[in-house]
Amino acid sequence: MELLAFLGQGFVVALEPQHLFLALVGCALGTLIGALPGLGPVNGVALMIPLTFNFSLSATAALILLVSIYYGCMYGGRISSILLNIPGDEPAMMTTLDGFPMAQQGRGGEALGLTGVASFVGALVSTIGLVLFAPMLVDFAIRFGPAEYFALFVLAFATIGGVTGGHLAKSFLAACLGLLLGTVGIDAVSSVPRYTFGWYELYDGIDFIVALVGLFAISECLVFLEDSHQGRKPAMTLGSALPGVRTAWHCRGSIGRSSVLGFIAGVLPGAGAALGSFLSYTLERRWQGARGDFGNGDPHGVAAPEAGNNAAAGGALIPMLSLGIPGSGTTAILLALLLSMNITPGPLLFENQPELVWGLVAALFIGNLMLLALNIPLVGLFARVLRAPGWFLMPMVVMVAFVGVYSLGNSAFDLYMMLAFGVLGYVLRKLEIPTVPVVLGLLLGGQMEYNLRRAMSISGGDWSIIWNSGISVGIYLFAIALLLGGLLFHWLMKRRI
Amino acid sequence: MREGVGALGDRIAGGLLLVVAAVAWWLSHDFTSGFGQAIGPGAFPRLVSVPLGLLSLYLIIHPGVNQRWPERSALFRQLGLLVLLMIYAGLIQPLGFLPTALLTVTLMIRLFGATWRQALPFGGLLTVGLYLLFEFALGMPLPDMPGLNW
Repeated sequence: MELLAFLGQGFVVALEPQHLFLALVGCALGTLIGALPGLGPVNGVALMIPLTFNFSLSATAALILLVSIYYGCMYGGRISSILLNIPGDEPAMMTTLDGFPMAQQGRGGEALGLTGVASFVGALVSTIGLVLFAPMLVDFAIRFGPAEYFALFVLAFATIGGVTGGHLAKSFLAACLGLLLGTVGIDAVSSVPRYTFGWYELYDGIDFIVALVGLFAISECLVFLEDSHQGRKPAMTLGSALPGVRTAWHCRGSIGRSSVLGFIAGVLPGAGAALGSFLSYTLERRWQGARGDFGNGDPHGVAAPEAGNNAAAGGALIPMLSLGIPGSGTTAILLALLLSMNITPGPLLFENQPELVWGLVAALFIGNLMLLALNIPLVGLFARVLRAPGWFLMPMVVMVAFVGVYSLGNSAFDLYMMLAFGVLGYVLRKLEIPTVPVVLGLLLGGQMEYNLRRAMSISGGDWSIIWNSGISVGIYLFAIALLLGGLLFHWLMKRRI
Repeated sequence: MREGVGALGDRIAGGLLLVVAAVAWWLSHDFTSGFGQAIGPGAFPRLVSVPLGLLSLYLIIHPGVNQRWPERSALFRQLGLLVLLMIYAGLIQPLGFLPTALLTVTLMIRLFGATWRQALPFGGLLTVGLYLLFEFALGMPLPDMPGLNW
């Protein structure tokens, strides 16, 4: 089979000593960052990007490092959810519902062991799904022209709001703001400066990474200053994580169902891990019905969201790698990394650089095994990080952000820019305007405009090319269907509560 | 559940973004198109500023829920952090990493709730630790102090 041959080649790439080492470092670092309260995968990967540039790693190596951090954060997020009742990020929120009660009953170690296995299965299922479905999507996408790509970008933006929930208009507003910010700088086609107001620092445009670190890491610190988490200490003794493995076998049905569901949620553009864990938890609660004891430390309620969000994390890599359209904040950052290394994800990537794609996939399999080893026997070590006080951790985060961003261009202007984005991110969060669409807009704006202009120059200025092909009409219809589906879903949820 | 507060914040944000959209629309007409292009550099910003403006209007009319704004004491701490980091950005080039970081990190630890007895030793420790980590372990050159090689 051709697929297995590719995968075999991938393992050859992933098993190179440097790549193995980076995967291990990434997994450990990711688990550590994920375990810190308030720091999720987006922050973790964002903080590491500037550092990655400095090591002048090859694209494959850099990607393996960052994706290992990404998977690691998804694993680590459960530690602070279960032990402290503080989710590292949105996807980890559902884990607190039954995980924290379990910890309060003195079954914290068991919960960590159980979720370690659940995370492993979820990630494994989605990585297998990635192997099976990404090439199919690639075969389909190879026929896309600029007009279809433009439609695809519209799809990505249309679905961000529908599934992240809340105030729909705010998500779109955020996306438009990001797209507009993305036009700042010298226009690549006509060399006309746009919205630079004579500042030559802006001629290169707003550096995506500077904006990103500001929006996520700096705004996180500002939120942290508001209410100090002091006094929240992991009170209970952990106990061994090994009994959790037996519990996991007991919950195998929940883990299996949630992995598949989470994977599907992850593949949908704009959905991502939060939806994966949310759907998994809700489904499992209905499935167990009266048998379950949800909300009071039911192991099924801990296993389901963890399997779901880890599966979604892998699923979200599919649209990012095969179409170049990220579905979540974290995959957007990975895309940014690739773009800044002059690698454009999409169908051509699979043809031109199979060693990168399949090396990454193989590294995911290996990393997942490493994470299982790190997260079951060694989980107590990571749990110890939670004892470090916030006044020590947060300044460290700030300094890593500052040193990393400064090293990008040795310019203090970048630091001021990052602070400005930090304030912007903080205000947006207070207004409940999501920041992920801003990031996606800023990142994808250039590509979206480029495809629009190419389509227009093909048609000679005739706007109808945008909706003139069957594929693009199909994509628009799919976008509308997802949007309506999301609205219906939220309406149903509201009525339920 | 998070507590929601009044919608004034949304209205103000909507107003500001409406102004941004209008200015973006207005300025986009100055981006003169080169020859041989089907659509010029102004088209895409215009295309984006229209929904931006409409959505801002919608937000003014139908504001949603906001999170609670910080109390005065928290606001001062946040302002303090921003000022501190601006000082860092201003001093990093003229003074180099070590003195700048020592100053900002120590004050930052204090700001994040530690006592002076904790802030002084840990500020020094963290600064030196980060310096060793970045400069030697990771091989990222940090700005040196004037006249010195470290």
